[in-house]
Amino acid sequence: MSQDEIAREAIKHALRALRKRHLLEEGAHGPAFIALSRPIVSQGSEWKEKAENLELELQQCYKAQSRLSEQLVVEVAESRSSKALAQEKEEAISNLQTELTQTRDECSQLKMDLEEKIKALELVLSEHLELRAQLEEMTIKAKNAEAENKMLIDRWMLQKMQDAERLNEANAIYEEMVDRLKASGLESLARQQVDGVVRRNEDGAEFFLESSVPSVCKHRINAHEGGCASTLFEYNSGKLISGGQDRSIKIWDTNSGSLSNTLYGCLGSVLDLTITHDNRSVVAASSSNNLYVWDVNSGRIRHTLTGHTDKVCAVDVSKISSRHVVSAAYDRTIKVWDLNKGYCINTIIFYSNCNALCFSMDGQTICSGHVDGNLRLWDIHTGKLLSEVAAHSLAVTSISLSRNGNVVLTSGRDNVHNLFDMRSLEICGTFRATGNRVASNWSRSCVSPDDNYVAAGSADGSVYIWSISKGDIVGTLGEHTSPVLCCSWSGLGKPLASADKNGIICTWT
Amino acid sequence: MMEARKYVWEGAIPLQIHLHESEVTTLPPPLPALILAPRIGYLPLLVPHIKPHFSSTLPPGIDTVWFDYKGLPLKWYIPTGILFDLLCAEPERPWNLTVHFRGYPGNILIPCEGEDSVKWSFINSLKEAAYIINGNCKSVMNMSQPDQVELWRSVINGNLEAYIRVSSKLKLGTVGDEYAADLYSSSLNSRQSIGDTDSTGQVKTGRVPIRLYVWSVNEDFDDLEDAPQIDSWDKISYINRPVEIHGEEGKCFTLLDAVKSLLPEYFPYKSLNNEESSREEDKDEEKVPSENLSEHVESCYSSDDAEVKLVRIQGIEPKLEIPFSWVVNNLVNPEHFLHLCVCLKLPQVKIPSDT
Repeated sequence: MSQDEIAREAIKHALRALRKRHLLEEGAHGPAFIALSRPIVSQGSEWKEKAENLELELQQCYKAQSRLSEQLVVEVAESRSSKALAQEKEEAISNLQTELTQTRDECSQLKMDLEEKIKALELVLSEHLELRAQLEEMTIKAKNAEAENKMLIDRWMLQKMQDAERLNEANAIYEEMVDRLKASGLESLARQQVDGVVRRNEDGAEFFLESSVPSVCKHRINAHEGGCASTLFEYNSGKLISGGQDRSIKIWDTNSGSLSNTLYGCLGSVLDLTITHDNRSVVAASSSNNLYVWDVNSGRIRHTLTGHTDKVCAVDVSKISSRHVVSAAYDRTIKVWDLNKGYCINTIIFYSNCNALCFSMDGQTICSGHVDGNLRLWDIHTGKLLSEVAAHSLAVTSISLSRNGNVVLTSGRDNVHNLFDMRSLEICGTFRATGNRVASNWSRSCVSPDDNYVAAGSADGSVYIWSISKGDIVGTLGEHTSPVLCCSWSGLGKPLASADKNGIICTWT
Repeated sequence: MMEARKYVWEGAIPLQIHLHESEVTTLPPPLPALILAPRIGYLPLLVPHIKPHFSSTLPPGIDTVWFDYKGLPLKWYIPTGILFDLLCAEPERPWNLTVHFRGYPGNILIPCEGEDSVKWSFINSLKEAAYIINGNCKSVMNMSQPDQVELWRSVINGNLEAYIRVSSKLKLGTVGDEYAADLYSSSLNSRQSIGDTDSTGQVKTGRVPIRLYVWSVNEDFDDLEDAPQIDSWDKISYINRPVEIHGEEGKCFTLLDAVKSLLPEYFPYKSLNNEESSREEDKDEEKVPSENLSEHVESCYSSDDAEVKLVRIQGIEPKLEIPFSWVVNNLVNPEHFLHLCVCLKLPQVKIPSDT
């Protein structure tokens, strides 16, 4: 074979081989594979389509469901709200019903009450009418009674007037008789007193004794320890009251010289004493800022007068009323006390301390002696200063009224004793002595009951006695060993008592 | 003339693809996918058709697809037809492959990112072919984008007309072949003037891009069924060497001549002068086991000659006397490379005394 033919043969063989391969491979298997996959593919696509359709349906169902659920929610909410409304309405209805029953009950109750009230009102009305009728009756009665009364009063007045006329008549007759008597008396008097002088008696004239100048020491009594600052005789008696540093007040019988009574209760040393006119009450001024009022008979304290803020150094009681007590204390006040009330009724404040006080005879005026040496007069009711006069150049230590009340004796630290006229406040006498020195700020001097003599103690322990009428010393009594603080003359004329710093009291006759 | 090309383009291998058992997560295990794979196509291009079959049973993770045949991972840039011809000595229809979606063997296979990797590999081969044929790859590189896309599309879809339309612009020409004209048509001369052929009618002297897969065995076998299994790529020598067609007056350049020119070491007597030149062209050999070469060189000098057991091209075993030019014109792959699978029976190795 030629090369060409071999080549062509080879090519044909190759082609045949290709065909065979085709038959074996894709020719045989192709259709089978396609057939196998097609149903799957188609099925797959079928399923896919089905799935898609179902998905669409599902979506639509979901949408519908969501719409329905929304609606449902809305409906549920509405129903709930309407339920709530219905419930509210029910409640409201039940409330209203209960209210209605309540009001009905109330109404019936009120009706009943109203009926009762009406009944009561009718009753009351009828009563009222009755009462009205009674009232009218009463008024008529009253009127009648008034008329009677008036008539009776008129008659009584008439009677009274008649009586008064009768009395007047009787008085007139009496006066006539008295006049006649007087006239006859005068006639008799005139017959008695040939010299034509008319003599009259004073109060207490029966007690009058002429006082003599005491010279002898009758008793020497150790009265108080520490000193006796104040002595005082009872009115018209020989009983001596003394108060001292030992806080006691002793009542002595000067005849026997013995102690008859002691008054206790004072809390401080006794600086001044006074006694009421009826000799019933003793008032003591104490250094304890108080005043004590004792009832002498019982010995008990009737009052404790408080109010002063410093020691009370002078006290006096009214001779007329025995009710007003005046006291002076070193707090620059003078207080007026009412013993009935028991407290201070007036306070006089003055810049200069008062050392001594005394009431005037009429009990309306107070004389006070002050540290500035002036003598002042006060009205006790108003507390006003009536007048003042310079009594001493140094402090006034004592003021004492004479028995007749017209003159007042003042002693001062300038060792001068003055007599002042109460009305004019003019000096009517001055007494001095060389040895006479006033012992303390509260040395007391006194006037004799017959207004003839003045007695004063001295720092050297002697008692000086001046005559008022003569104006000079009539006697010097020496017995005390220590400065004499106080002198007082009994209303009976004798004795004269003097107390000194050691507490010894001497009585002189 | 077109008949052969049509057969070549329409050729498809029935595949039965099994999912590897390690990646089966459902019971019962999925049935294997049955698919026709085009011979001129590539395995990664089949993935979109296979994946739906197995996607429901895959374990979770990212897919890295690779195939193996009886444990040997398959190189994805080798067209499917060649893999079948090479690895199945006795063609197995359908061809049972195992697909893996996990555990890509990066030490054996180069990475594949899907269709794009395959496309770029194809274009690269095309450029290589153009360079070998024309000495430059201008024609390929100047191809317009739509042409590229259409060319690739025609390859994927197996559309021969579209392919011829586009690839004719590349002027990669056909080797002149008088036999084709004589067999089927009357006008010989007009056919011959296709491409860069010489108007004189003589066979043009040209270089043909060849990819040669040599599978050597030591023992002889009579039946292909008894052929030993290829279980490693080391057993295959891949020779990427063009064949120079020298037109000799009055002599036809046969397939055997071409094989011998490609494997001069096995046929020293025939082509001594070709030895050096062909050795020089050994630039793009992927796997040339050096030991084999030296052995063969030594053994070549022995008295025994190597025996070509079979030469497979496009699934057929043409006679070795077939004109090579016909083979080139009809059995070439779309990237203008001719893939030859050769089974060589090596002579008995005599270990020389001096080593």
